[in-house]
Amino acid sequence: MHNEWVNYINATVPTANAVLVQPQGTTDAAGVTTPGCGVSWITVASEEVKAVCQALKQGEHQFTTLQAITGVDYPADGQIEMTYVLASMSKNSELLLKTRVARGDGVKLSKLPSVVSVWSAANFQERECYDMFGVVFYGHPDLRRILCPDDWVGYPLRKDYVVQETYRDMVVNPSKKMNIPEREFGAKHAHIAGATTSVENYSVPAPVKE
Amino acid sequence: MKQQELGEITESPLTFRQYFTNIWDAIITTYKGMKITLKYVYGVKPVTVQYPEEREELPLNSRSRLFNDVENCIACMQCATACPVDCIYISAVKRDKDAPKVKTSSGSPVRLDLTMYTIDEALCCYCGLCTTVCPTECLTHTRDYEFSQYVLDGMKYDYLSPEIRAWRTRLIKK
Amino acid sequence: MQEKHYKEEKLKTELLTVSMGPQHPATHGVLRVEIKTDSEIVAEATPHLGYLHRCMEKHSENLDYRAVIPFTDRLDYLAAMNMELTYVMAVEKMLKTEIPVRAEYIRVIVSELQRIASHLLFFGTYAIDLGAFSPFLYVFQEREFILRIFEELSGARLLYNYIWIGGVWNDITDDQIKRIGTFCDTLDENLKKYHTLVGENKIFISRTADVGIINKDVAFDYGATGPILRGSGVNWDLRKNRPYGLYPKLSFNIPVGTGEKGKVGDCWDRYRVRVLEMHESIKIIKQCLAGIEAGPIMGKVPKIIKVPKGEIYMRTECARGELGYHLVSDGGKKPYRLKVKSSCFTHVSMLPAIAPGMMIADLVATIGSIDIVLGEIDR
Repeated sequence: MHNEWVNYINATVPTANAVLVQPQGTTDAAGVTTPGCGVSWITVASEEVKAVCQALKQGEHQFTTLQAITGVDYPADGQIEMTYVLASMSKNSELLLKTRVARGDGVKLSKLPSVVSVWSAANFQERECYDMFGVVFYGHPDLRRILCPDDWVGYPLRKDYVVQETYRDMVVNPSKKMNIPEREFGAKHAHIAGATTSVENYSVPAPVKE
Repeated sequence: MKQQELGEITESPLTFRQYFTNIWDAIITTYKGMKITLKYVYGVKPVTVQYPEEREELPLNSRSRLFNDVENCIACMQCATACPVDCIYISAVKRDKDAPKVKTSSGSPVRLDLTMYTIDEALCCYCGLCTTVCPTECLTHTRDYEFSQYVLDGMKYDYLSPEIRAWRTRLIKK
Repeated sequence: MQEKHYKEEKLKTELLTVSMGPQHPATHGVLRVEIKTDSEIVAEATPHLGYLHRCMEKHSENLDYRAVIPFTDRLDYLAAMNMELTYVMAVEKMLKTEIPVRAEYIRVIVSELQRIASHLLFFGTYAIDLGAFSPFLYVFQEREFILRIFEELSGARLLYNYIWIGGVWNDITDDQIKRIGTFCDTLDENLKKYHTLVGENKIFISRTADVGIINKDVAFDYGATGPILRGSGVNWDLRKNRPYGLYPKLSFNIPVGTGEKGKVGDCWDRYRVRVLEMHESIKIIKQCLAGIEAGPIMGKVPKIIKVPKGEIYMRTECARGELGYHLVSDGGKKPYRLKVKSSCFTHVSMLPAIAPGMMIADLVATIGSIDIVLGEIDR
C-alpha cells in the first residue's frame, strides 16, 4: 500500500523525493534484536508538501480528509519533523506524511507551504503548530497563536523551551512554587540521613463524621 | 463558503392549511410532552439527597482522601515516584543499629525511620497510582469526602502528627 | 421646511461586534466566539480558544507511560473512559501486549456506557440551550446510574484512571452485570419517551430543523468526524470501518442523518443521530453482558514500561468523534511526544464556515448540536 503511494507521489511530483520509512528493529550491545513497532510513513521534501497534498487529495488515492498536523522537535538534529495525518474514507486508508524543516533559533523561523487551500481543516492545525513549534506556514490566511496568548514568548513544545517568568506583570513561573515549603520539590532522593521536616502551618483535618 | 447570503431570508408564505396544521402539531406535541412531565411530577419518587442531614456512603473502593498508616510504612519511595503531580513528600533517616528491631504488620523489617511523610491533598489528583504500588499496603484511599479547610496549607497532611493518629483510630473503629 | 443636518446618502450601517463567551452558558465551557452581526444575523464568527489550555502534551513528555493516563482523563472529562482507551490501545499496540478477553469485554462495556452518559448529557444541555429545562433533570437521573456504576468499578465519578495498560484495574461483579442489564432495558424505554418529549416537539423542531446545515463537502473539507459527519449523511464509523478491540464480533447499526424533519445535516439530524446511537450502544452492551467470559483482567505487562522506538497513530471512535493519539517514542520510559488529535478542535474550526447567514439564536443551537467540550479543544 505504502509503496503504491510512494510511486504515485514520485510520478506526479518529481521533485518531492518521497521515501518510504518502515519501523526498524534495534540490536543492542548483547546482540538481542527487538523488532520494530508502530506504523510506516512517507517522507517528502518540505517545499513540495502542498503539491504532494494536492496530488494525494485529487488523485486516485482520494485522501479527502486531513486528520491532523503535528510536529516533533529533534534538537539533536536541529530539525523539526512535521507530520501530516491523512485519511481516506472511500478507500479506508490512513497515511502519515512527514517532512523536516530546520529548527531555527527561535527568532528566525523556518517556513513551510500552507495547505489550507487544499483542506480547510489545516487552518486551525497549522495555527497550533505555529503556536507550539514556531513553524511559519506561508500562504495561511490568518496565522496567529491559537492556544497561547498573542504576546506569549517562546514555542512551548520545543524541547529547550523555558517558561517566561512574568507575563504582563503577572508572575507565571515563580522561582518558589506554591507547593514547596522551603524544600526541594518532590524530595525523591531524600533517603540521605539528616533530612528534617519543615512543614509548618498544617492544620488538623476536619472531623469526618460524628 | 456562505450558505446563505446576508439578509436573504426567503420563506414562502404559509398557506391557510399549513398555518392550521402547524398550530395543531404544536398543540399535539406539547400535549404529549406535558403528559410525560406530569407523570414525572406525580409518579416518580424524588431522588434528591438532603445533604447535611443525610449522607450518602461512597462505594467500597472509591478513591477519596489518602491515609498512610505510618507504622507500616517502610519509606520505599515508590508512591512518591509513581505520583504524576509530585504531591508526596517523604524523608527518612537510617535506623540505628542498636535500636530495637521493628517489623510491619506484614512482616517486612523497617530499615528507615520516617522523619516526614506529608501529602499535599490540594495538589493530589486522586488517580490511585500511589496506592497500587505500595508494597505494604499502608497507603490507602479512604472513603472520607468532606475535607474542606480555611487555608490552603491546611490541605498538607502530615501523617506523623498525633492528630492524624486520632483520625486513624476513628477510621479503624468504623 | 426644516433643514436636515445630515445627508441621507452619507448614512451607513456597520457590523456590530458581539463577544459570546467566554462565560456564556451556551458555549458549554470557556469558548469565546467573536460575532460580527448585521442586526440579528451573524455575518462572521471567529472562535477564540485557549482559555482552558493546560499544557497536557508538554506534561506527558515528562511523565512515565502509566502516569499519563490520569492526564488523558482530563481531556474530555465527559467521556474519560474513551480517552483512556485510545491512549492505552496506542501504548499496547507498540508494546504488542495481549489483552485478556474479559478485559476486552469490560472495556467495550464501559466505553459504550460512557458514550451513553456523554450523549445523555448532550441531550439535557441541548434541551436547556433551546429552552426546555425538565429533560435535563430526567436524563441526569439516568446518567447518575452510569456514574454510580463507574464509581463502584473504578473508584471515581468522572476521572477514572480505570483502563490500564494491559487490561483494566478492577473486575466487574455479577451483581453489577445484572444491574447494568436491567438499566439497559429501562433506558431503552425511557429514551423513546424522552425523544417524544423533546425531539418530536414542534417548538424543538422549528428551532433545529433546517438550522446549521453542514453538508457533506464542508464536513469532508473540515475533517469532521463522529456524529457530525454521520448527521451529514455519511456512513462512517471507526467501530465498523476500521474495527478495533471486540467490535468486529458485535452486531450493531450505524445511524445516519436522513433529513427527516428538514435538510440532511441540520441540527435535528445531529440530535437524532446521537439518540439513535444510544440505542445502538445499548444493543452492544447487551451483547457484551451476555458474552462476557470469566478469566483474568490484566495481561502481562513489565513493571517499568519501556516502549520501543517507533511511532503510532491510533484513532478510535469517541463519543464526540474520532480521537487520535500520535505517540512518538524514543525507546525511553517517557513518551517523546504525544499529540492529541481532538475531534472537537476540528469541529469548532467549522464555525466560521457555517455561521454566516444564521440568526444569533440559531448559532446557539448550532454550537449546542456540535457538542463541544473545551477540555478536549484546549488540552
